[in-house]
Amino acid sequence: MAMSSILRLISVLVVMLVVGLGWFRIGSSRLKKKGVAEVEARSQAKKEAKKFSLIAAFLYMVAMVSVAGLFM
Amino acid sequence: MKIMYGMLMALTPAALYSLYAFGLAALARILTGVISAVVAEAIFQKLTGQKITVKDGSAAVTGLLLSLAVSVSTPLYALGISAAFGIIAGKQLLGGLGKNLFNPAMFGRLFYLFVFPDSILPWRQPVDMTTAATPLELLRETGEAAGVPVLDMFLGRIPGTIGEISTLMLLIGFSFLVYKKFVRWRIPASAFATVLVLSIIAGQNPLFHFFAGSLMLGACFMATDPMTSPRFPKGQVIFGIGFGLIIMSMRWWGWQTPGVYEFTEGTTFAVLTMNLFVPYLNKKFKPSRK
Repeated sequence: MAMSSILRLISVLVVMLVVGLGWFRIGSSRLKKKGVAEVEARSQAKKEAKKFSLIAAFLYMVAMVSVAGLFM
Repeated sequence: MKIMYGMLMALTPAALYSLYAFGLAALARILTGVISAVVAEAIFQKLTGQKITVKDGSAAVTGLLLSLAVSVSTPLYALGISAAFGIIAGKQLLGGLGKNLFNPAMFGRLFYLFVFPDSILPWRQPVDMTTAATPLELLRETGEAAGVPVLDMFLGRIPGTIGEISTLMLLIGFSFLVYKKFVRWRIPASAFATVLVLSIIAGQNPLFHFFAGSLMLGACFMATDPMTSPRFPKGQVIFGIGFGLIIMSMRWWGWQTPGVYEFTEGTTFAVLTMNLFVPYLNKKFKPSRK
Protein backbone atom coordinates (compact mmCIF):
# COMPACT_ATOMS: atom_id res chain seq x y z
CA MET A 1 0.00 0.00 0.00
CA ALA A 2 1.51 3.32 -1.10
CA MET A 3 2.40 5.96 1.49
CA SER A 4 0.10 8.46 -0.26
CA SER A 5 -2.82 6.06 0.23
CA ILE A 6 -2.01 5.68 3.92
CA LEU A 7 -1.90 9.48 4.30
CA ARG A 8 -5.24 9.86 2.56
CA LEU A 9 -6.75 7.12 4.73
CA ILE A 10 -5.48 8.79 7.91
CA SER A 11 -6.66 12.22 6.74
CA VAL A 12 -10.26 11.08 6.22
CA LEU A 13 -10.30 9.37 9.62
CA VAL A 14 -8.95 12.55 11.25
CA VAL A 15 -11.65 14.65 9.58
CA MET A 16 -14.33 12.28 10.85
CA LEU A 17 -12.88 12.24 14.34
CA VAL A 18 -12.44 16.01 14.61
CA VAL A 19 -15.92 16.81 13.30
CA GLY A 20 -17.51 14.04 15.37
CA LEU A 21 -15.89 15.02 18.64
CA GLY A 22 -16.39 18.73 17.96
CA TRP A 23 -20.04 18.29 17.15
CA PHE A 24 -20.56 16.07 20.17
CA ARG A 25 -19.19 18.71 22.55
CA ILE A 26 -21.07 21.59 20.92
CA GLY A 27 -24.27 19.59 20.52
CA SER A 28 -24.39 18.24 24.05
CA SER A 29 -23.75 21.64 25.65
CA ARG A 30 -26.37 23.23 23.37
CA LEU A 31 -28.95 20.62 24.36
CA LYS A 32 -28.09 20.95 28.04
CA LYS A 33 -28.63 24.71 27.82
CA LYS A 34 -32.04 24.01 26.33
CA GLY A 35 -32.87 22.05 29.47
CA VAL A 36 -32.54 18.53 28.10
CA ALA A 37 -31.39 16.03 30.73
CA GLU A 38 -27.66 15.22 30.58
CA VAL A 39 -27.99 11.56 29.62
CA GLU A 40 -30.53 12.37 26.90
CA ALA A 41 -28.45 15.32 25.65
CA ARG A 42 -25.33 13.16 25.35
CA SER A 43 -27.23 10.43 23.53
CA GLN A 44 -28.78 12.87 21.05
CA ALA A 45 -25.50 14.71 20.52
CA LYS A 46 -23.72 11.39 19.89
CA LYS A 47 -26.19 10.50 17.16
CA GLU A 48 -25.84 13.92 15.53
CA ALA A 49 -22.05 13.81 15.82
CA LYS A 50 -21.88 10.50 13.97
CA LYS A 51 -24.13 11.81 11.22
CA PHE A 52 -22.17 15.01 10.75
CA SER A 53 -18.81 13.23 10.83
CA LEU A 54 -20.04 11.10 7.90
CA ILE A 55 -21.28 14.16 6.01
CA ALA A 56 -17.93 15.85 6.66
CA ALA A 57 -16.09 12.77 5.37
CA PHE A 58 -18.27 12.78 2.25
CA LEU A 59 -17.69 16.49 1.58
CA TYR A 60 -13.98 16.20 2.31
CA MET A 61 -13.48 13.23 -0.03
CA VAL A 62 -15.53 14.80 -2.82
CA ALA A 63 -13.67 18.10 -2.45
CA MET A 64 -10.29 16.38 -2.52
CA VAL A 65 -11.18 14.14 -5.44
CA SER A 66 -12.88 16.81 -7.49
CA VAL A 67 -11.89 20.37 -6.84
CA ALA A 68 -8.55 20.41 -5.13
CA GLY A 69 -6.92 17.19 -6.27
CA LEU A 70 -4.76 17.44 -3.15
CA PHE A 71 -2.63 14.46 -2.17
CA MET A 72 -3.19 13.07 -5.64
CA MET B 1 -34.17 -9.76 4.21
CA LYS B 2 -36.17 -11.01 1.24
CA ILE B 3 -35.27 -7.86 -0.69
CA MET B 4 -31.55 -8.31 0.01
CA TYR B 5 -31.54 -11.88 -1.24
CA GLY B 6 -33.60 -10.70 -4.21
CA MET B 7 -30.91 -8.09 -4.91
CA LEU B 8 -28.23 -10.78 -4.78
CA MET B 9 -30.20 -12.87 -7.26
CA ALA B 10 -30.78 -9.86 -9.51
CA LEU B 11 -27.06 -9.07 -9.59
CA THR B 12 -26.17 -12.66 -10.44
CA PRO B 13 -26.48 -12.31 -14.27
CA ALA B 14 -24.09 -9.32 -14.28
CA ALA B 15 -21.70 -11.14 -11.94
CA LEU B 16 -21.77 -14.29 -14.08
CA TYR B 17 -21.15 -12.26 -17.22
CA SER B 18 -18.16 -10.61 -15.53
CA LEU B 19 -16.69 -14.09 -14.93
CA TYR B 20 -16.98 -14.75 -18.66
CA ALA B 21 -15.56 -11.33 -19.53
CA PHE B 22 -12.73 -11.04 -17.02
CA GLY B 23 -12.30 -14.60 -15.75
CA LEU B 24 -10.75 -15.40 -12.38
CA ALA B 25 -9.69 -11.79 -11.88
CA ALA B 26 -13.38 -10.83 -11.59
CA LEU B 27 -14.14 -13.80 -9.33
CA ALA B 28 -11.30 -12.82 -6.97
CA ARG B 29 -12.63 -9.27 -6.73
CA ILE B 30 -16.23 -10.32 -6.18
CA LEU B 31 -15.22 -12.75 -3.43
CA THR B 32 -12.94 -10.16 -1.83
CA GLY B 33 -15.67 -7.50 -1.84
CA VAL B 34 -18.35 -9.79 -0.41
CA ILE B 35 -16.17 -11.50 2.20
CA SER B 36 -14.61 -8.21 3.39
CA ALA B 37 -18.01 -6.56 3.80
CA VAL B 38 -19.53 -9.51 5.65
CA VAL B 39 -16.50 -10.03 7.92
CA ALA B 40 -16.21 -6.29 8.67
CA GLU B 41 -19.87 -6.15 9.66
CA ALA B 42 -19.60 -9.25 11.86
CA ILE B 43 -16.45 -8.00 13.61
CA PHE B 44 -17.89 -4.52 14.18
CA GLN B 45 -21.12 -5.92 15.60
CA LYS B 46 -19.24 -8.38 17.81
CA LEU B 47 -16.93 -5.65 19.15
CA THR B 48 -19.81 -3.29 19.88
CA GLY B 49 -21.92 -5.96 21.54
CA GLN B 50 -24.66 -5.94 18.91
CA LYS B 51 -26.53 -8.88 17.48
CA ILE B 52 -24.68 -10.19 14.41
CA THR B 53 -26.95 -9.66 11.41
CA VAL B 54 -24.84 -10.74 8.46
CA LYS B 55 -27.43 -13.37 7.59
CA ASP B 56 -29.81 -10.62 6.43
CA GLY B 57 -27.70 -10.41 3.26
CA SER B 58 -27.28 -6.63 3.25
CA ALA B 59 -23.51 -6.74 3.84
CA ALA B 60 -23.14 -9.25 1.02
CA VAL B 61 -25.15 -6.94 -1.27
CA THR B 62 -22.88 -4.02 -0.34
CA GLY B 63 -19.75 -6.06 -1.01
CA LEU B 64 -21.10 -7.37 -4.31
CA LEU B 65 -22.22 -3.93 -5.52
CA LEU B 66 -18.87 -2.41 -4.64
CA SER B 67 -16.92 -5.15 -6.37
CA LEU B 68 -19.10 -4.80 -9.48
CA ALA B 69 -18.38 -1.05 -9.46
CA VAL B 70 -14.58 -1.26 -9.58
CA SER B 71 -12.17 -1.99 -12.38
CA VAL B 72 -10.72 -5.47 -12.77
CA SER B 73 -7.29 -3.88 -12.25
CA THR B 74 -8.17 -2.94 -8.66
CA PRO B 75 -5.79 -4.46 -6.10
CA LEU B 76 -7.59 -6.87 -3.78
CA TYR B 77 -6.40 -5.10 -0.62
CA ALA B 78 -7.80 -1.78 -1.88
CA LEU B 79 -11.17 -3.39 -2.52
CA GLY B 80 -11.16 -5.18 0.84
CA ILE B 81 -10.34 -2.02 2.80
CA SER B 82 -12.93 0.00 0.86
CA ALA B 83 -15.66 -2.59 1.45
CA ALA B 84 -14.88 -2.63 5.18
CA PHE B 85 -14.92 1.18 5.31
CA GLY B 86 -18.22 1.31 3.41
CA ILE B 87 -19.84 -1.12 5.84
CA ILE B 88 -18.46 0.35 9.06
CA ALA B 89 -18.62 4.08 8.26
CA GLY B 90 -21.46 4.04 5.74
CA LYS B 91 -23.77 1.67 7.58
CA GLN B 92 -22.82 0.50 11.06
CA LEU B 93 -21.73 3.85 12.50
CA LEU B 94 -25.30 5.17 12.39
CA GLY B 95 -26.80 2.01 13.81
CA GLY B 96 -26.95 -0.45 10.94
CA LEU B 97 -29.48 -1.38 8.28
CA GLY B 98 -32.27 1.16 7.83
CA LYS B 99 -30.52 3.90 9.79
CA ASN B 100 -27.77 4.64 7.29
CA LEU B 101 -27.64 8.00 5.56
CA PHE B 102 -25.49 6.98 2.61
CA ASN B 103 -25.54 3.93 0.38
CA PRO B 104 -22.72 1.91 1.99
CA ALA B 105 -21.45 0.49 -1.32
CA MET B 106 -21.18 3.96 -2.82
CA PHE B 107 -19.62 5.36 0.35
CA GLY B 108 -17.03 2.60 0.09
CA ARG B 109 -16.49 3.45 -3.56
CA LEU B 110 -15.95 7.14 -2.84
CA PHE B 111 -13.40 6.08 -0.22
CA TYR B 112 -11.77 3.85 -2.83
CA LEU B 113 -11.61 6.70 -5.37
CA PHE B 114 -10.13 9.01 -2.73
CA VAL B 115 -7.61 6.67 -1.10
CA PHE B 116 -6.57 4.54 -4.08
CA PRO B 117 -7.03 6.82 -7.13
CA ASP B 118 -4.04 5.37 -8.95
CA SER B 119 -5.46 1.85 -8.84
CA ILE B 120 -8.47 2.57 -11.04
CA LEU B 121 -6.59 2.26 -14.30
CA PRO B 122 -6.06 0.55 -16.65
CA TRP B 123 -9.45 -0.44 -17.97
CA ARG B 124 -9.46 -3.81 -19.65
CA GLN B 125 -11.27 -5.09 -22.71
CA PRO B 126 -13.48 -8.11 -21.93
CA VAL B 127 -12.18 -11.58 -22.81
CA ASP B 128 -8.78 -10.61 -24.27
CA MET B 129 -7.99 -8.31 -21.30
CA THR B 130 -6.06 -5.78 -23.40
CA THR B 131 -6.02 -2.23 -22.05
CA ALA B 132 -8.50 0.14 -23.67
CA ALA B 133 -10.39 3.37 -23.10
CA THR B 134 -14.02 3.25 -21.98
CA PRO B 135 -16.74 4.70 -24.25
CA LEU B 136 -17.08 7.69 -21.90
CA GLU B 137 -13.35 8.38 -22.06
CA LEU B 138 -13.58 8.28 -25.85
CA LEU B 139 -16.51 10.69 -25.67
CA ARG B 140 -14.44 13.04 -23.50
CA GLU B 141 -11.42 12.82 -25.79
CA THR B 142 -13.16 13.11 -29.14
CA GLY B 143 -16.21 15.11 -28.12
CA GLU B 144 -18.58 12.73 -29.80
CA ALA B 145 -20.14 9.41 -29.03
CA ALA B 146 -19.38 7.81 -32.38
CA GLY B 147 -17.00 4.92 -32.81
CA VAL B 148 -18.35 2.48 -30.26
CA PRO B 149 -21.16 0.27 -31.62
CA VAL B 150 -24.21 0.60 -29.40
CA LEU B 151 -24.86 -3.14 -29.70
CA ASP B 152 -21.41 -3.89 -28.23
CA MET B 153 -22.24 -1.60 -25.34
CA PHE B 154 -25.59 -3.29 -24.81
CA LEU B 155 -24.12 -6.79 -24.84
CA GLY B 156 -21.02 -5.96 -22.80
CA ARG B 157 -18.16 -6.00 -25.29
CA ILE B 158 -16.64 -2.80 -23.93
CA PRO B 159 -14.13 -1.96 -21.20
CA GLY B 160 -15.49 -0.75 -17.89
CA THR B 161 -15.98 -1.81 -14.31
CA ILE B 162 -16.56 -5.48 -13.52
CA GLY B 163 -20.35 -5.32 -13.38
CA GLU B 164 -21.35 -2.33 -15.48
CA ILE B 165 -20.35 -3.47 -18.94
CA SER B 166 -23.35 -5.58 -19.94
CA THR B 167 -26.56 -3.59 -20.00
CA LEU B 168 -28.43 -6.72 -21.08
CA MET B 169 -27.43 -8.65 -17.95
CA LEU B 170 -28.24 -5.69 -15.71
CA LEU B 171 -31.67 -5.34 -17.31
CA ILE B 172 -32.38 -9.04 -16.81
CA GLY B 173 -31.61 -8.63 -13.12
CA PHE B 174 -33.57 -5.40 -12.86
CA SER B 175 -36.61 -7.01 -14.53
CA PHE B 176 -36.56 -9.62 -11.77
CA LEU B 177 -36.59 -6.86 -9.13
CA VAL B 178 -39.49 -5.09 -10.84
CA TYR B 179 -41.42 -8.37 -11.21
CA LYS B 180 -40.93 -9.10 -7.50
CA LYS B 181 -41.81 -5.47 -6.62
CA PHE B 182 -38.53 -5.18 -4.72
CA VAL B 183 -37.52 -1.91 -6.37
CA ARG B 184 -38.65 1.72 -6.46
CA TRP B 185 -39.01 1.88 -10.22
CA ARG B 186 -39.78 5.62 -10.33
CA ILE B 187 -36.16 6.41 -9.51
CA PRO B 188 -34.56 4.72 -12.54
CA ALA B 189 -37.51 5.76 -14.75
CA SER B 190 -37.06 9.46 -13.94
CA ALA B 191 -33.26 9.15 -14.14
CA PHE B 192 -33.50 7.61 -17.62
CA ALA B 193 -36.04 10.24 -18.70
CA THR B 194 -33.65 12.99 -17.57
CA VAL B 195 -30.73 11.41 -19.42
CA LEU B 196 -32.91 10.98 -22.51
CA VAL B 197 -33.98 14.65 -22.55
CA LEU B 198 -30.49 15.98 -21.86
CA SER B 199 -28.80 13.80 -24.47
CA ILE B 200 -31.37 14.86 -27.09
CA ILE B 201 -30.77 18.51 -26.19
CA ALA B 202 -27.02 17.94 -26.56
CA GLY B 203 -27.54 16.20 -29.90
CA GLN B 204 -26.03 12.94 -28.64
CA ASN B 205 -27.32 9.40 -28.99
CA PRO B 206 -29.42 8.64 -25.88
CA LEU B 207 -28.70 4.91 -26.26
CA PHE B 208 -25.00 5.65 -25.92
CA HIS B 209 -25.65 7.39 -22.62
CA PHE B 210 -27.96 4.62 -21.40
CA PHE B 211 -25.46 1.87 -22.10
CA ALA B 212 -22.20 3.66 -21.29
CA GLY B 213 -20.60 3.86 -17.87
CA SER B 214 -22.41 2.83 -14.74
CA LEU B 215 -25.73 4.61 -15.33
CA MET B 216 -27.59 1.32 -15.63
CA LEU B 217 -25.93 -0.27 -12.58
CA GLY B 218 -26.31 2.92 -10.56
CA ALA B 219 -29.88 3.78 -11.50
CA CYS B 220 -31.27 0.24 -11.23
CA PHE B 221 -29.37 -1.15 -8.24
CA MET B 222 -27.73 1.64 -6.26
CA ALA B 223 -30.05 4.63 -6.41
CA THR B 224 -32.97 2.31 -5.62
CA ASP B 225 -31.52 1.07 -2.32
CA PRO B 226 -34.64 0.93 -0.11
CA MET B 227 -32.75 2.24 2.93
CA THR B 228 -31.25 5.32 1.30
CA SER B 229 -33.84 6.39 -1.28
CA PRO B 230 -37.07 8.37 -0.79
CA ARG B 231 -40.13 6.50 0.41
CA PHE B 232 -42.80 8.48 -1.44
CA PRO B 233 -43.45 8.70 -5.21
CA LYS B 234 -42.84 12.45 -5.73
CA GLY B 235 -39.63 12.28 -3.74
CA GLN B 236 -38.50 9.30 -5.81
CA VAL B 237 -39.09 11.21 -9.05
CA ILE B 238 -37.07 14.21 -7.82
CA PHE B 239 -34.34 11.88 -6.57
CA GLY B 240 -34.16 10.25 -10.02
CA ILE B 241 -34.08 13.58 -11.85
CA GLY B 242 -31.29 14.86 -9.59
CA PHE B 243 -29.38 11.63 -10.14
CA GLY B 244 -29.72 11.94 -13.93
CA LEU B 245 -28.68 15.61 -13.89
CA ILE B 246 -25.51 14.92 -11.90
CA ILE B 247 -24.61 11.94 -14.11
CA MET B 248 -24.97 13.95 -17.32
CA SER B 249 -23.15 17.00 -15.99
CA MET B 250 -20.25 14.77 -14.94
CA ARG B 251 -20.20 13.15 -18.37
CA TRP B 252 -20.03 16.50 -20.11
CA TRP B 253 -17.78 18.48 -17.84
CA GLY B 254 -16.48 16.02 -15.28
CA TRP B 255 -13.84 16.58 -12.67
CA GLN B 256 -10.28 16.42 -13.71
CA THR B 257 -7.32 15.58 -11.57
CA PRO B 258 -4.46 16.29 -13.97
CA GLY B 259 -1.90 13.53 -14.19
CA VAL B 260 -3.90 11.08 -12.14
CA TYR B 261 -7.34 10.39 -13.35
CA GLU B 262 -10.09 12.14 -15.17
CA PHE B 263 -13.57 11.38 -13.92
CA THR B 264 -15.88 10.78 -16.84
CA GLU B 265 -18.63 9.21 -14.77
CA GLY B 266 -20.39 10.40 -11.65
CA THR B 267 -22.58 7.59 -10.38
CA THR B 268 -20.89 7.53 -6.98
CA PHE B 269 -21.21 11.29 -6.55
CA ALA B 270 -24.76 11.29 -7.89
CA VAL B 271 -26.00 8.57 -5.53
CA LEU B 272 -24.28 9.99 -2.44
CA THR B 273 -25.32 13.58 -3.15
CA MET B 274 -28.94 12.57 -3.65
CA ASN B 275 -28.77 10.42 -0.47
CA LEU B 276 -28.20 13.66 1.45
CA PHE B 277 -31.57 14.97 0.30
CA VAL B 278 -33.56 11.86 1.23
CA PRO B 279 -34.59 12.98 4.75
CA TYR B 280 -35.83 16.27 3.27
CA LEU B 281 -37.65 14.57 0.38
CA ASN B 282 -39.31 12.13 2.78
CA LYS B 283 -40.50 15.00 4.96
CA LYS B 284 -41.56 17.30 2.13
CA PHE B 285 -43.47 14.74 0.08
CA LYS B 286 -45.02 12.67 2.81
CA PRO B 287 -48.62 12.15 1.68
CA SER B 288 -51.07 13.93 3.95
CA ARG B 289 -53.75 11.81 5.60
CA LYS B 290 -57.28 12.78 4.68
